[in-house]
Amino acid sequence: MTPSDTNNMTVHVLVLTGYGLNCDVETAYAFELAGAVSTRVHINTLISGEASLKDYDILVFDGGFSWGDDHGAGVLEAVRLRSNIGKALIEFIENGKLILGICNGFQAMVNLGLLPGFDGDYNTRQVALTFNDCGNFRDDWVTLLGNPESPCVFTRGVSQIELPVRHGEGKFHASPEVIKRLIGNGQVVFQYATPEGVPAQGQFPFNPNGSVHDIAGICDSTGRIFGLMPHPEAFNHWTNHPDWTRVKESMKRQGQSILPELTAGVQLLKNGVDYIRQA
Amino acid sequence: MPAHLEITLKPDLFDAEGAAICRKANDYFGFDLESVRTVSILTIDIDLTPDQLESIRTEIFTNPVTQISSYKPLSIDFDSVIWVGYRPGVRDNPGSTAQEAVEDLFRIRLKPHEAIYTSKRYCLKGVNLSFHDADRIARELLANDIIQQWKVFSKEDWDPETGVGIIIPKVRLDHKPTVTVIPIDSDKTLMRLSKERGLALNPNDVPTIRAYFLREDVLAERRAVGLSDPTDVELEYISQARSDHCNHNTFKGLFLYRDLATGKTDTVDDLFATCIEAPTLAIQKKKPWVISVLWDNAGVGRLNEDNYYVITGETHNSPSNMEAYGGAITGIVGVYRDPMGTGKGSRLIMGMYGYCVGPRDYQGELKPHLHPKRLLDGVIEGVRDGGNKSGIPTPYGQVWFDEGYLGKCLVFVTAIGLMPAQIKGGPAEKKRSSPGNLIVMCGGRVGKDGIHGVTAASESFSADTPAGHVQIGDPYTQKKMHDFLLEARDHGLIAFITDNGGGGLSSSIGESARFSNGCMVELEKVPLKYEGLDQWEIWVSESQERMTVAVKPEHWAQFAALSKKHAVESTLIGRYTDSGKLHITYDGQTCAHVDIDFLTSQFPQWTFEAEWTPPEMRGLSEPDFVEPDNASNLLLDLLARPNICSKEWIIRQYDHEVQGTSVVKPLVGKDRDVNSDAVVSRPVLESLQGLAAAQAVLPTYSLIDTYHMVACSIDEGVRRVVAVGGDPEHIGGVDNFCCPYIQYDAIGNPDGKYKAAQLVRANWALRDVCTAYGIPLLSGKDSMYVDGYLKGRHNKTQKVSALPTLQFACTSVISDITRCVTMDCKFAGDLVYVLGETRNELGASEYYEHFGHVGLHVPELRPESAIKLYRALNRAIQEELVASCHGIYRGGLGVHLALVAMAGGLGIRVDLSKVPRVEAEQDHVILYSETPGRFIVTIDPKNRSSFEALFDGLPHACVGTVSGEADFEINGPEEKPVIRVPVSELKTAWKRPFGDLV
Repeated sequence: MTPSDTNNMTVHVLVLTGYGLNCDVETAYAFELAGAVSTRVHINTLISGEASLKDYDILVFDGGFSWGDDHGAGVLEAVRLRSNIGKALIEFIENGKLILGICNGFQAMVNLGLLPGFDGDYNTRQVALTFNDCGNFRDDWVTLLGNPESPCVFTRGVSQIELPVRHGEGKFHASPEVIKRLIGNGQVVFQYATPEGVPAQGQFPFNPNGSVHDIAGICDSTGRIFGLMPHPEAFNHWTNHPDWTRVKESMKRQGQSILPELTAGVQLLKNGVDYIRQA
Repeated sequence: MPAHLEITLKPDLFDAEGAAICRKANDYFGFDLESVRTVSILTIDIDLTPDQLESIRTEIFTNPVTQISSYKPLSIDFDSVIWVGYRPGVRDNPGSTAQEAVEDLFRIRLKPHEAIYTSKRYCLKGVNLSFHDADRIARELLANDIIQQWKVFSKEDWDPETGVGIIIPKVRLDHKPTVTVIPIDSDKTLMRLSKERGLALNPNDVPTIRAYFLREDVLAERRAVGLSDPTDVELEYISQARSDHCNHNTFKGLFLYRDLATGKTDTVDDLFATCIEAPTLAIQKKKPWVISVLWDNAGVGRLNEDNYYVITGETHNSPSNMEAYGGAITGIVGVYRDPMGTGKGSRLIMGMYGYCVGPRDYQGELKPHLHPKRLLDGVIEGVRDGGNKSGIPTPYGQVWFDEGYLGKCLVFVTAIGLMPAQIKGGPAEKKRSSPGNLIVMCGGRVGKDGIHGVTAASESFSADTPAGHVQIGDPYTQKKMHDFLLEARDHGLIAFITDNGGGGLSSSIGESARFSNGCMVELEKVPLKYEGLDQWEIWVSESQERMTVAVKPEHWAQFAALSKKHAVESTLIGRYTDSGKLHITYDGQTCAHVDIDFLTSQFPQWTFEAEWTPPEMRGLSEPDFVEPDNASNLLLDLLARPNICSKEWIIRQYDHEVQGTSVVKPLVGKDRDVNSDAVVSRPVLESLQGLAAAQAVLPTYSLIDTYHMVACSIDEGVRRVVAVGGDPEHIGGVDNFCCPYIQYDAIGNPDGKYKAAQLVRANWALRDVCTAYGIPLLSGKDSMYVDGYLKGRHNKTQKVSALPTLQFACTSVISDITRCVTMDCKFAGDLVYVLGETRNELGASEYYEHFGHVGLHVPELRPESAIKLYRALNRAIQEELVASCHGIYRGGLGVHLALVAMAGGLGIRVDLSKVPRVEAEQDHVILYSETPGRFIVTIDPKNRSSFEALFDGLPHACVGTVSGEADFEINGPEEKPVIRVPVSELKTAWKRPFGDLV
């Protein structure tokens, strides 16, 4: 019996919209599949106070091109949120809630300083996501290695998964000291890997952007604040996977069919939802 | 004093943008650049204190982890510096977002004269780089003269204290808006003024226009509102609406067709009415899924009971030809407004692209405005930014290289949207403006950009084409508007909506006012980017990202509040009336007063002489051709031809996963790198229903006969969606014609009559095949002036006309996406089938083209028998009997069998003698004939009998097996080996031309 069976509390997820964000619909949908109740809330509705973070358990900085990515991806979204609801964000973290940033949302989070969040400092920019080494936007599915040592609540039990990346500014960069500290704390949640499951060691296209140490996602030291470049919400159905017609045919010949269970992408979100239920 | 902030990456960080410039400069021009570092510059013309300046520097514009910045020029090593900034009045998107951020940070509102301007500085290193070389990089790579300005600095020129200096590209128009009255004393006067003012009035229309303004009753009505002769606002309105771009005069023309071989004549009155409208309406009567066609911005088909899909296609050829990036981004962002303005509005769910350009490695004597390599790069990047930043997947597209597109390139953009069947209990696809409704303009502001774009698109490209019509689309502004309008729609606040594209307010208000039968517009209320526009300019400006909406007065407060929430500007600029008049005022003074129905009446029909010279009479014949010996190498060469080879680098730049709906991706197979026949998406996430989409172009067939070019293009589009599991009973079509100018002129267009006949024949095929297949034309577009005048050898100007080209887009609905199939063969031991007959049809094939031949036997479609085969195939796919399915397209059976093998990463062994065929005996005919109507299918051997039973009486044969071997093997009669190549080598050849591009 899973904890969610024993505890049927409703988990409320706030998915940001507006100003060029564009993954809000599927992110909200994927969280519904993960058992939560999700609401798409315009950034200005949150700023005006018409909606309040207090009513939510998980805040999602979803993907897109906020402010057109001008002046650096996620930079202007961070400015707007910090200038207007900076305090509320910190309170949200202090109240034990979860924050997930995907792609442009991850970029906004590092610009807000929510990540890496060393020593509970959620204001200082110490890592960056910058232009891909390949010099272009890239859409591809990548293999990710999960870090069993990481405190990240979203990736519990995830050793390896495939997800799509779609970005032009996903190269993770930080000083060697910061990288060392991230590794030491287990804050490196996902690394890009080869299909065989070994770290890509910078090799394109397995590491699609040239990220230092193949870093695809990091969390804070509590494991409740998590950002990643790949898109779990875009793997919300088994037919999203690039090999599904091949896998289906193969299983059919073994007299089996693909069971429409939760995808690895939705499972990631469900881990977050379950964490709230257990908390 | 404006401040000047320079920002750059820390010196130890890799500058990917700089590296890309370095690579292109060396690649395009053969230079020996060592490195390029890029510096972003913000010129801040805002009254801020030093502390405020420092705080925006550190808190907004500098990333402490990756960047350094300074209000003094940064010291970066260089041999040459290039500065590039926008010209005054050009849309500076990052400048606007920077302003927004500053306003946000300090909670201030900028004053009207305050602004932030962005520009760039490039620091070039290269010992051998001359000033002239640097200037060339600036002019041909970094800047576009039309929208940007630049400066080049050598080491000696550079003052480290002042750097590039302060340049404020502010528009200053010391001009009082003026309405000009145009005298119409004679046809000649009006025609002369039309030329002088760039009105592009058609000479045939001039007497009609004059007659109207000279009518006694009209004169009396005009006197009552203070008008006499027509104003410039009125003539601009008429000119826009009567342009070929808006009114499709060519397609609605009268064609006097004559076949020069038989002498048979035919009078075709209105191609649109006879070949597009009539068949589509007839099909709509039979197919209830066809919801709305032929009147709105896009066509509407039913996805399921609760949801409709919406599709349209556009071209953006002329602007892209002038400024590739700007033209293409404006094209894709612009076409996305069509579904937004269809019915009461739809959400965008997919985009597609098609590029027809000169050869990427063109080294001939003609000098196109932009070299095809640079043009293609710019177009690709424009659609990339336009699509990706709109959050709309761009999963499908194709590229076609041909020297005929050196004169003018083609940029096709297709948009698909989704709308609920009902909004607040009413039909979503219906809309109307009613007297009393408010006219609201939403989105961007109006500037001089894009003036006369419509009339320029209705002309051929020449040195004096006005450059002002090029603009840069802004997907960010539009995305905000898109989200806002959908919310407004769902609250029932939209009575009517249409986009401001070609012709601007003139078109959008002119067309929407036909429903209520009148309007009253107060032009001074239109928000402007800068002061000083004349009234007619406000009226016809094509400034982007704007929609015109009819809102009931009682809904206005709620509409305006939502608009504010989404940070979108919405302005009330007038009211719809039932006066029968288009009535425009400026500060209370009438500047236009025209009968709404004037444009739909009395204009003379354009007339064309069309003379068809059949291919034999043009001297075409089958070449005297001996089958080449080395068939394996030949196949490898064919796979590496530009129109066949891999173009993965384009596909991967486009987000095809956003919205989480991707089912069949653009690249499939074991290594996820071979092109799928079509893409499939699951537009409604909660449902298993799918929408398949694909496009096809086959312009080369026009060398022989445009009838077959069109027939085969439609068939290819159909087979593409059927191959992934699309339902042949539900296929929607979008026809997108691009043709050279067809009006005969002894000097200017001596083959005009032939070109007119090509257009007629193309339309006949459209009518015949769509009728036979039951395809309604959900939408369509014609672009009639695909010619260019290029300098060639000895600086002689030469006219280059493109082959008549049809891009045909197909959609199909899939009831259960889990039954979709992909084209990669999947298991060793599977049986390989060819469905459909192969004929001796190498005319205009890729194979003949490879050897420099055209030939005569162009592929001909037999639609009545083909559709039966497609129905059977669809059943086989629905019954899950098919492991892989792939159409046989350009390049024929040989090329497409190779693709099936490459995608599966498995060898295939095929016996050519088993291929179903008619009068096609030689190996190379069977391998490379491009007969339409055929597929390659692989199946699990245990499904053999049930599969074959479905094809009883239809041409099909098992021609071989998927082998477990590494080799791709084609054998002739008695197992005589014809081709034997490792599959890996096939793929290497196929990826060779563009495989290194990212």
